[in-house]
Amino acid sequence: MKRREFLARAAAASALAASAAAGLRCAAGGEPSAPAPGAKARVVVIRHESLAAEGRGPTAAQVRELLDEAARALAGDAKAADAWARSFKPGDRLGIKVNCLGYPTRPAVATGLAAAVGSIGLAPERIILWDRTNRELKAAGYELSDAGRGTRCFGTDALASRENGGYTADVFSSGSIGSLYSRIVVDDTTALVSACVLKDHNIAGLTCALKNFYGSIHNPNKYHDNGCDPFVADVCAHPLIRERLRLAVCDATRPQYQGGPSVRPQWQWPYGGLIVAADPVAVDRIGLEILARKRAAVGLPSLEAGNRPVLYLASAQARGLGVADLDRIEVVSVGKAWLDVG
Amino acid sequence: MSGMARREFLRAVGAGVGALSAVRALAEDAANSSAAEGAKPQAAVHDARWFDRLPDKAVRCRLCPRECTVADVERGYCGVRENQGGDYKTLVYGNLCSTNIDPIEKKPLFHYLPGTLALSVATAGCNLECKFCQNWRTSQYRPEQVESIVIPPENLVRAAKARRTPTIAYTYTEPVVFAEYVYDTAAIGRKEGVGSVMVSNGYIREQAMRELANVLTAVKVDLKAFTEKFYAEQCAGRLAPVLETLEVLKDVGIHTEVVTLLVPTLNDSEEEIKGLAKWLVSHLGPDVPVHFSRFHPIYRVKNLPPTPVETLNRARRISMDAGLRYVYVGNVPFNEGESTYCPSCGKVVIRRVGYNVDSSMLKSGACGSCGRKIAGVWSQEDALAFKPKPPKEAKAGGG
Repeated sequence: MKRREFLARAAAASALAASAAAGLRCAAGGEPSAPAPGAKARVVVIRHESLAAEGRGPTAAQVRELLDEAARALAGDAKAADAWARSFKPGDRLGIKVNCLGYPTRPAVATGLAAAVGSIGLAPERIILWDRTNRELKAAGYELSDAGRGTRCFGTDALASRENGGYTADVFSSGSIGSLYSRIVVDDTTALVSACVLKDHNIAGLTCALKNFYGSIHNPNKYHDNGCDPFVADVCAHPLIRERLRLAVCDATRPQYQGGPSVRPQWQWPYGGLIVAADPVAVDRIGLEILARKRAAVGLPSLEAGNRPVLYLASAQARGLGVADLDRIEVVSVGKAWLDVG
Repeated sequence: MSGMARREFLRAVGAGVGALSAVRALAEDAANSSAAEGAKPQAAVHDARWFDRLPDKAVRCRLCPRECTVADVERGYCGVRENQGGDYKTLVYGNLCSTNIDPIEKKPLFHYLPGTLALSVATAGCNLECKFCQNWRTSQYRPEQVESIVIPPENLVRAAKARRTPTIAYTYTEPVVFAEYVYDTAAIGRKEGVGSVMVSNGYIREQAMRELANVLTAVKVDLKAFTEKFYAEQCAGRLAPVLETLEVLKDVGIHTEVVTLLVPTLNDSEEEIKGLAKWLVSHLGPDVPVHFSRFHPIYRVKNLPPTPVETLNRARRISMDAGLRYVYVGNVPFNEGESTYCPSCGKVVIRRVGYNVDSSMLKSGACGSCGRKIAGVWSQEDALAFKPKPPKEAKAGGG
């Protein structure tokens, strides 16, 4: 698709979105993204060939441009900065939680996102790209930085000298879980984005926006029974996450439909997409649908048939974290149709 | 350090779990020993011993009843075992986060070398998650989240000998999750005249337990309750595998003591304690020492009071009425249930105050008053002479 054609389609999608309910969360935080009864959750799936490139993949600049478009489509604003400003304030301290375990979120997606949100006047120094450990971030290609200038990037373990290995001293309970949370969340952020990657998970079935926050607690190994249900929902339902989480941006540039969470190139394909919404449950549900369609297309059994259905989405919906019912999600498709998984 | 008097050493390392100064002292010993002998300290990452390989670089852990299927780059439930490209590794081989020299009574083991000391060590991790865990700041952490120092097995044995502790205790967290280190250290200890006791939740598969029994000299098992409900809701585990472990230990013939922490309203009913005691009598015999310990609110159970002393005394009475001969009350100093009484004449055989042996009337493993044999392991020679009996199936088959 030519760029002009693409942008024309994007503009049309923005107009469509403008007529619907607001798709971005209020920057003031508070209650999460579950839409009012009867209203639909809105998810933007934006696709472009630049995202599907093999090797180094898209640049941060390319990602930023597409995310700006996605934000406009989501919020119905003409200007991207206006759209971002619905969810973030210049005074925020933003934590972009990436997933570096196994198959990682591409650094360009995270840095492109940081640049896009920064357009509202949020200083780079107030943005942290983070995950559990410096080692995992480096292995995933992230450039560690906590020098005081520019976007920061480090793991929870980098705060070990602050307290308790970088985690809270006390246990926070939420439903079935009891965990220490990362001090990055507690001390260093007022807002969070789940910058996840779309991939299969050998136990949970899916790891995307919600399960990404297993990287915010000290004991995720304790919560993999029963397909991680309801533990994933409980981790995200704690106010520490729930009240900070403003947006989910899923790296679906080259999703992996089997063999996750580790890297299995033979089961990745160039989908070339980013999935963006305020509702992390809806992002997961759309991501799941994409993986399910791809699995069917290549002749793999469904996750249900493989005895690993994604159970935690229903629990997340029950906790008011968002919408898991596909018929209650409005997908705004920008670029190639979102269900075209060929 | 090896020349330091016991009292001086104990004062130096202090009491309680997590005395990293003691870890450092051991590490210094280890480093000095290694340097002296030209040996290289071993890394904490070590091949796991009990697992199966699965397709696509996955593994199935065969150490504990969870039998985690672990994909590449992931860890098992315990948080200390990791699949690294299809090879299953323990991350805590000698990676000690807690060391102390404790009275053996603190484990508690009351019928095993009373009045002696045990060099007590732990790594991070556990294969259960008890909401009332007293050591959760190490047991519920991953190895990279706690301060620790690697001490190879031979150096730990050397440290025990230098301190003249007859026993190494694998304790505090859960030795099942560092079983490879337990096995290797205990094997060396046996050759060097140092016994090894495992203070465990008993949540381990039979094969691994039998292999460990080849090198251990005693085991203490936490039987956390006698209902599946309690195990499921409070410990994220199951009761049945623990009972199976107790039966394996009985079959093997290793000295075993049982501890139950009584948590008010959750596992302290008369009916449950009766059931537990009857099961122990019928499956392990009346001579197995049983300890009912006092709960204190901690970790995720802070809404319940400490166990009333009367509850513990009642549990002791119920269990003795059910036929158990040696039943104790734990975590309640100066309680009469701390001492050992002769089942025949009723006189005190070993009087304890807290973790200390105040006086002993034990003579050659028998009551000093009436001469009745008291079940237990009373000498280091007996401890080191232990050899596990072969499995019943093997005996039935003529092997």
